[in-house]
Amino acid sequence: MKFAPICRRLPLALLWLVSLQGATEEALVRVWRDVADSKLPEAELQLSAAPKGDARKVRLTEVVIGMGRPPISRQDFDQYQRVLAELAAGRDELADLALYLEARLFQVHAVSPDFAQAEALYLALAERSAGSHWAQLGLVKVGLIRLYALATPTVPADRLASVEALLGRITEPALKRDLQLQIGWAGLHYRRPLDEILPHLIAAEAAGGLMGITPENLVLQIGELSFRSGKTAQARAYFERFLADYPTSIRRYNVEQRLVGMGGQPGR
Amino acid sequence: MLVYLLVVSWIFLRPERSFDPRVTVRIAHWQVEIGPSSGIAAVIRRYEALNPGVRIEQMIVPPPVYKQFLRTNLAGDNAPDIIEYGTWLDGLTDIPVRYFEPLTSYLDQVNPYNRGTPIEKLPWYRTFADELYEQRLNSPEPGQYYAVTLTRASMRLFCNRELLREITGSDHVPQTMMELRELGAKVAAYAPAKERRIMLLAGSGFNAQFLLNGYFAAATSKLREELDREGFLALSAQQVLGSYLGGQWNFQRPDVVAALHLLAELHRQMRPGYMQLGRDEAAREFLHGDALFIFSGTWDATSLRKEAPFPLSALRCPQLTQDDPVVGKYVLGRFADGNDITMFGFYLNKRAKQREEAIKFLQFLTSFQGNRLFSEVSGWPPSIKQVPMTAEVAELLSPADGYSNGAVFLTAGGSSRALLLRNLHLLSGPTGSVEKLAAALDRELPVAARADLHAIARDSWLTALPQDARIAALGLGISALAETDALRLRQERIEAAQNLSEARAMLIDQQLQRSP
Repeated sequence: MKFAPICRRLPLALLWLVSLQGATEEALVRVWRDVADSKLPEAELQLSAAPKGDARKVRLTEVVIGMGRPPISRQDFDQYQRVLAELAAGRDELADLALYLEARLFQVHAVSPDFAQAEALYLALAERSAGSHWAQLGLVKVGLIRLYALATPTVPADRLASVEALLGRITEPALKRDLQLQIGWAGLHYRRPLDEILPHLIAAEAAGGLMGITPENLVLQIGELSFRSGKTAQARAYFERFLADYPTSIRRYNVEQRLVGMGGQPGR
Repeated sequence: MLVYLLVVSWIFLRPERSFDPRVTVRIAHWQVEIGPSSGIAAVIRRYEALNPGVRIEQMIVPPPVYKQFLRTNLAGDNAPDIIEYGTWLDGLTDIPVRYFEPLTSYLDQVNPYNRGTPIEKLPWYRTFADELYEQRLNSPEPGQYYAVTLTRASMRLFCNRELLREITGSDHVPQTMMELRELGAKVAAYAPAKERRIMLLAGSGFNAQFLLNGYFAAATSKLREELDREGFLALSAQQVLGSYLGGQWNFQRPDVVAALHLLAELHRQMRPGYMQLGRDEAAREFLHGDALFIFSGTWDATSLRKEAPFPLSALRCPQLTQDDPVVGKYVLGRFADGNDITMFGFYLNKRAKQREEAIKFLQFLTSFQGNRLFSEVSGWPPSIKQVPMTAEVAELLSPADGYSNGAVFLTAGGSSRALLLRNLHLLSGPTGSVEKLAAALDRELPVAARADLHAIARDSWLTALPQDARIAALGLGISALAETDALRLRQERIEAAQNLSEARAMLIDQQLQRSP
């Protein structure tokens, strides 16, 4: 007898649940917006006041807010790692993000970084979700770890080769660019031949999208390293581009003099 | 009791506590020279007239306490909405990331206050004469702009023309270091004859730092090129310090020793004990006619012009030439004496009480109209493109006709700078010598260089670590929101900036581990 009223009310109840879910998601979006704007106290307040919806998202958001306030205490590290490991056990994007963040914990947030563990987690993520953005970003971090943090390989050429091998697995152009730039710069650090370095720098520059002083540095650097390696035409092309594209650079005179030295016009 | 009641009444009833319905935006800076505060006050008056609902409060904080003011008020969440800051302020390098908000998203848009002006169609950041070069160079988060600037600056040799004529019988001003030396000899011969003490250069620790740094960098420009393995055609502090720790240069090299001899010459042209004196005392020495020149930035131009009882010129720096007997063979060519980089940078407090109003005021302050008003009243060169200048102001700007050398060998970081200042006295007195200074610097620089490199790495980590949260939050947001393109671009930029900062920090960490 009571079944009919319940049936009548069920859609209403579902509607309420859906709207509650919407409200929860909306509240979480506000929290994420605050975190993205570096407003962590506000985010924390919003999160504590938000209606509790998707528990996984809420737990992950709590950890994310905590990671936004380094340094992380030993106690928090253990707690965050436990939560992230649990969340990473899933098979969705949230799980991929959790695994990525767990690797970040070991790589950069631990009091004593565990680069080997971080590398293993990044690679595990790349293995299980190769196309995920978090896996792709993780491969860039693996590259940085191999370039500078791991003790082996001790031979610079082998070290660089192990990072170059990652490039084929990175399909997102911006991330590939970031890693190529770092391979080029690390090559300079390890005093590799300029002919090995230049292709990486040229590729990173061609990808575009870099910001700050980096694009200007890169065009100038390719010009100068080309000049030093005897690639005069290439050097001139990059120097001239530098003068055309960066009219406010304080190194214009330096470049103009280099062009004069090469037997060209200053190209103002 | 009566006094107590009076004090309490005054605190609660004083006029400035009376109810003011206007929104108040506070702006703090340390420019106590004549000019800038009046310039800003003029802009404020115009802005308040246009916006009756807004009050702008200018806070001028004396330089000696500015760092403490900043640190305590930011930590106590009581800092002004808009704050002057400079990346060179020792011990404050963590401040921008922690407490300031990037202005990039606003700077990518046109400045609405430029409507109807020749620069109305330019994005805000491109309206600055140098397109905010210093921000591109030193932004705590590569790719982000944190500040807007009010003026351009160069280095100048301010000259007492009356005294020059009195000593030399001519108006000729020195164009080269060799001519400056000759003039120094004439000053040294003239003063005793007149029973006066006249120095070639007015001296203070503040002015000397700029003088010595600039000439040391110029005198070692060939070394700069030699050390620039990366091919940036200028050295970063990281390159200077890293190459020192890597054994690629030291203070015994002939070129560096020659540059130290040049410093010793300049050092002798200032009165004994100048390192203990403040910039006001150097200005007083110059204004009293006790020094022929004062070497300073164009920020002192208005003060000096207003207070000098004699005709004054702002001269470009005498150049080092390749036939200079002391450093000539180590000099690449002319050096830049200013670059006209825009400065007097204002940052937005991340916790600003009046965020939107503060941004609007910054837009007005650096608009064509606002910056013109600032420049006219302050006498400081404008930072904004196409803003007209008087001939007197234009004299303060340098064309790009000299090499930029980048970070200076002597003072690539706070610890290195302190080391030099502590030891400069070794050039003085009957037992002072370049060799003593060089030995002291080589003895202590390894520790100072490590500390400075460590500080750069620490700041890079400070920048990089909190970005994990922002990147993750954007990733979560992208999966839930419609405006994915904008969010993805933002995420991509933060990731790129983090990768740059992180790689820099990791490289320095490795350098520090491997260097003895």
